[in-house]
Amino acid sequence: MRNHSLKANLTGYAFISPFIIGFLAFTLIPMFISLYLSFTSYNLFSPPRWVGLDNFEKMFTGDPKYWNSVKVTLYYVFIGVPLRLTFALFVAMILNTGSKMIGTYRTIYYLPSIIGGSVAVSIMWRNIFSEQGIVNGLLMALGAAPVQWFGDPGAALSMLITLSVWQFGSSMLIFLAGLKNISPEMYEAASVDGAHPVRKFFSITLPLLSPIILFNLIMQTISAFMTFVPAYIISKGEGGPMDGTMLYSLYLFRQAFMFNNMGYASAMAWVMLIFIGVLTLILFKTSKMWVFYESEGGR
Amino acid sequence: MRKTIALATMVAILLLITACGNSGGGNASSGAQDGKTLRIAWWGSDARHEYTQKVIDLYKKQNPGVNIDIEYASFDDYWKKLAPQAAANQLPDIMQMDISYISQYAKNGQLEDLKPYIGSKIKLDDVSENVLSTGLIGGTQYGIPTGVNVLGYQYNPELLKKAGINEIPANWTWDDYKKMAMQAKAKGVYFDESMAADIFFNYFLRTKGHSLYNAEGTALGYEDDALFTEFFGTLAELIKEGAVPSQETLSQNKGILEESTVVKGTGIGTWQWSNQFVALQKVADRPMALAPMLGPDMEKGIYMQPSMYWSIASSSKSKDEAAKFIDFWVNNEEANKLIKGERGVPISAKIKESVTPDLTEAEKQVFDFVSEMEPKASPMSPPPPVGSAEVIATLADYVEQINFGQTTAAEAAPKFRADANAILSNNQP
Repeated sequence: MRNHSLKANLTGYAFISPFIIGFLAFTLIPMFISLYLSFTSYNLFSPPRWVGLDNFEKMFTGDPKYWNSVKVTLYYVFIGVPLRLTFALFVAMILNTGSKMIGTYRTIYYLPSIIGGSVAVSIMWRNIFSEQGIVNGLLMALGAAPVQWFGDPGAALSMLITLSVWQFGSSMLIFLAGLKNISPEMYEAASVDGAHPVRKFFSITLPLLSPIILFNLIMQTISAFMTFVPAYIISKGEGGPMDGTMLYSLYLFRQAFMFNNMGYASAMAWVMLIFIGVLTLILFKTSKMWVFYESEGGR
Repeated sequence: MRKTIALATMVAILLLITACGNSGGGNASSGAQDGKTLRIAWWGSDARHEYTQKVIDLYKKQNPGVNIDIEYASFDDYWKKLAPQAAANQLPDIMQMDISYISQYAKNGQLEDLKPYIGSKIKLDDVSENVLSTGLIGGTQYGIPTGVNVLGYQYNPELLKKAGINEIPANWTWDDYKKMAMQAKAKGVYFDESMAADIFFNYFLRTKGHSLYNAEGTALGYEDDALFTEFFGTLAELIKEGAVPSQETLSQNKGILEESTVVKGTGIGTWQWSNQFVALQKVADRPMALAPMLGPDMEKGIYMQPSMYWSIASSSKSKDEAAKFIDFWVNNEEANKLIKGERGVPISAKIKESVTPDLTEAEKQVFDFVSEMEPKASPMSPPPPVGSAEVIATLADYVEQINFGQTTAAEAAPKFRADANAILSNNQP
């Protein structure tokens, strides 16, 4: 009998082995190798040389460009994500009012996100705001001077943030699903009590939506930290002007694949992983104060 | 039941093997023993892929029994693919090499010394010493140039006249240049689009008897910060005066040919390598001309830069066959009628001549310009050392800060030297 169950288990393992092998070969083992490399100096040509904590020391004390990339990324995340979520919620609420065309609208609004972080959208964004692009064309038609959207160190990052806000579709769809889940009776009851729309929004919609907000917040924050493609495409891989669009992942990429500092890049990746982990944990812990679960009977 | 388990185990083992096989990387081992299978890799555009394939087909037709596997990619992807292959000791037999990477591969023992093949397998009698020596790294021939380029000023003669300048004077100087730039500005056109920091600073240093890196590649090749201040101070001044577009515009339009002032007709010219002329002329779609670099001591400054090299991997098992292919590339007339100088002006004088009748007007201009400059050029400085990519990025950062007015050339000069020397010494083995 025992023998039989072993056989049954073996069959099971055989069937999930594609995943297990893939996971080991392409995720777990590379991760540990990268952890090892983060304590070495490695340029891909000569064997890795153990340097202990040197990479981390350089990162934290000897590399102003590292701190610049941290600053740029925090700015990108902490401005971009709230804006994006607010916008997504706003559009979701409009779409929730029950128009006949809702399917079409949903598709239209979701489109920029399907082509999401792709190269094509970034190139299109570049072209829209290029020197002879449509935006400058409109400005000039109105008699204003053209703006160098991606040439101005102050403006370039804002352009990246606007692009990320514009790709709000996926969070919008999740919000929409959440909004549909709130029972209309709540609103009816509130109307009977004479609540105006703003009151309804803050007393019914927001609390009942808070688990979804938490989910979107965490997912979007993590993906924002890892943003790479738009910054790479728009700054042609250089993070300029004046390192204004040098996001953390772009700087990591430059260290790894342009300067061949694989050890340093691995160390940067691990710091990022730990930082995102801690931030997610904090979000979870503080969520107790503001997330409302109906099933708990509203503690 | 037993059958099922056996089957499942087989599947698992198979998966394991294929997973390992894939990570091992490519078809390196296929038939290499007989010395008749070559792997060849290059980067480039679709047009380049197309004619390179035709050249390879031609070679295969003339050398029956030789099998050639090809690998190609865009420039960025090419180096990302090649580095792991080098780490795994599985480089292609023949590789297209770039000047900014060749030192790294050569110094790590990945490339074959080609000197023993020259004269026997690779005939280079019609190649000038100035050109061939660009493939030397530390005295060893690690690459055969596919073709050469030379720096110059590429401009629109009609717009130059409109700015009140009849022609670029022979042996022009920095003072002439500044005067002409201000004259152009007064007529409402830009004279140029500034100069790429690393390339032209190196040119400027060479005219003064220095170079960007020292011969060993362990530090910068100059010690006097006044040189930095003079060169980048001048460029920044022209930007400030409005004779050259603002750094904002330069950052915004960098690398986009269609947005360049020459193409838009708001700028007279641009400073770049001769092989970039054909593309510029095509997009600008109006008559263009080439002028030599400005002096004094232009002859000391200019050099024939190999557009790219052919190198042979030291791990290759078919080195003789690989050398024969390189010889075919350099000396075969029929092949070069397909190549048409797309990888730089051919290095063999004989081939250069035989290809000329088939060229377009712009291509002919480039060939003539390069021929005119070749006897004047001085030997190239050693190829950029390991770590140069980071040095160039650092230099570009400082220049950007200077041009945005955030710092001065005099302030940036010692900082750049300290940073660059630290990077270069970090990259010493």
